[in-house]
Amino acid sequence: MKRAPLLVLAGTVAGFAGVLGFHTRSAALASPAPGASGQHPARTTPGVKAGPGAVRSAVGVSEQFGYGVLDVKVTVSGNRVTDVSVPSLQVAEPTSQQICDQAIPLLRSEVLAAQSARIDGVSGATYTSEAYYLSLQAALDALHVK
Amino acid sequence: MNARQASPARSARVPGRQAARRPAGSGSPAPRSGYAGAALVVAGVGLGATTALTITAETAGQLAAPGGLATFGGNLTGMVGTYLALMMVLLVSRIPFIERVLGQDGLLRWHRRLAPWPISLLIAHAVLITAGYAQAARTGPWHEAGTLLRSYPDMLTATVGLALICLAGSISVRAIRRRVRREIWWNVHLFIYLALAISFAHVIVLGPSFVGHPLTQVVWSAAWAGTAGLVLTYRVGLPVLRSFRHRLRVAEVRTEGPGVVTVLCHGRQVDRLAVSGGQFFFWRFLTRGMWWQAHPYTLSELPRPPYLRLTVKGVGDHSSALARLKPGTRVAIEGPYGVFTRHSQRHPRAALIAAGIGVTSVRALLEDLPRGTRPVVVLRAARREDLVLGTEIADLVKRRGGQLHELTGDRTEASIDQHSLRRLVPDIKDRDVYVCGPEGFVTEIVALARWLGVPDEAIHHEAYAL
Repeated sequence: MKRAPLLVLAGTVAGFAGVLGFHTRSAALASPAPGASGQHPARTTPGVKAGPGAVRSAVGVSEQFGYGVLDVKVTVSGNRVTDVSVPSLQVAEPTSQQICDQAIPLLRSEVLAAQSARIDGVSGATYTSEAYYLSLQAALDALHVK
Repeated sequence: MNARQASPARSARVPGRQAARRPAGSGSPAPRSGYAGAALVVAGVGLGATTALTITAETAGQLAAPGGLATFGGNLTGMVGTYLALMMVLLVSRIPFIERVLGQDGLLRWHRRLAPWPISLLIAHAVLITAGYAQAARTGPWHEAGTLLRSYPDMLTATVGLALICLAGSISVRAIRRRVRREIWWNVHLFIYLALAISFAHVIVLGPSFVGHPLTQVVWSAAWAGTAGLVLTYRVGLPVLRSFRHRLRVAEVRTEGPGVVTVLCHGRQVDRLAVSGGQFFFWRFLTRGMWWQAHPYTLSELPRPPYLRLTVKGVGDHSSALARLKPGTRVAIEGPYGVFTRHSQRHPRAALIAAGIGVTSVRALLEDLPRGTRPVVVLRAARREDLVLGTEIADLVKRRGGQLHELTGDRTEASIDQHSLRRLVPDIKDRDVYVCGPEGFVTEIVALARWLGVPDEAIHHEAYAL
């Protein structure tokens, strides 16, 4: 068959374009709207004194992100986010550990700067950023912060 | 088209062999090339989708990160290499569709042509991933290789898998293959299945295209499970079933010529095998020392219930051992395979050209050819006594109103060139040309036929490998 290479090539282009098209469409649908995931339960730790200026903290739900699991603990004083940390992080393999080790401090500073879960995330650590965002949002929701 | 119209008429004409009851199996016509084209497009779609999946799993940030480029290259070579490996497995999975479109000869050629790609891509995958991860972790590649093996899930088995693939690949390199016994080569080759099975897990749990993408996980797993199912069905299940059904046993072994033996097997419901003349089976003789190897031998005669006959020249260890087979030995079969049959015919007439033990295929094919074929048969051999089954062939040719030319002597005396071929078969352009014999002979004659103006679709050939 002399047309064989041509047919394979046509199929390759079609398959390539098909997956790319599907990907861009589903990516547009799936990108999380900030604050949309308010239903997650979270553990809250009431602060010493109740009231507007009280220091409270909450741990968001554990988020699976394919290469591992993490949860985010947030501490607020009134409506101000004073601290964010990742109390538990489990990953499948060392590379993910390295990526998380680099990304989590960056994510933390993003949150402290934004004073909310509206963060850009860290490129090169997309999955970690998404899980971080979701868990953080759940924790903030539990504390009824914004 | 020709073949399809010709088949009912022909079946009715053969008395006493219950040919009309033959079920449509491998003996039926090749599918139209439209299906083959569709299959090629589907294969292409898979390749394109695999490539795109790798690219969409990547972000600009990951590429820019240390080692990002190498890691991406590693992912891409891994995905494409694995996909091509899947294609190679499918090619030899004995799916009737592929067998009919390409024939064993053709699909093995594709399998061989494709082989260097998945192997080198998978090696590149291992090297690039190690390099990329090492750069990201700021360590040396050797240290990183150790980390990969020790602390990544399913990486140890994947590495063993790659080693097995490299082993099977290197043993198939022509220079090495020639020095290795066929039985060893064959069994090492089977390790590829094991290698692919144990490497599967690391793709799913670590591959960026799969982690966190349940849809691609499902599609990929389904493709591999489906392939495994096809392999098990057509390479294991069906042959076992057929062997049990036909219960073949060796009935007689006799010497046909120098180093050539005929084995006659006796079985049940042999007429139910959909065999066309010129097709072959993989034969497994269940005796000590032979049960673990299956070899392809052509039937030298259409099934004559309750008998199947094969005629083999003793070149390898296995074919030499056939002479010592005892009557009553159980025989397992896999097949029939091959498109060296009347179903490939494009013209009403045919020329059959064979060398050496290739005459056995021609003998069976001749019996199966419609009477109006008026075949011209050209047989070439070094010595007169090497032309086995000579009287049978002469008889069949005579009954079909054809001509038989026997050329004996060494290559210079009895060579076939464009002049002699044109003289022996003046109307070769209007005939189907069937060529059977050793690889070199087949290549030579096919080139000659092309040169004499025979279109590719009218040239049918089957090369004998040792």
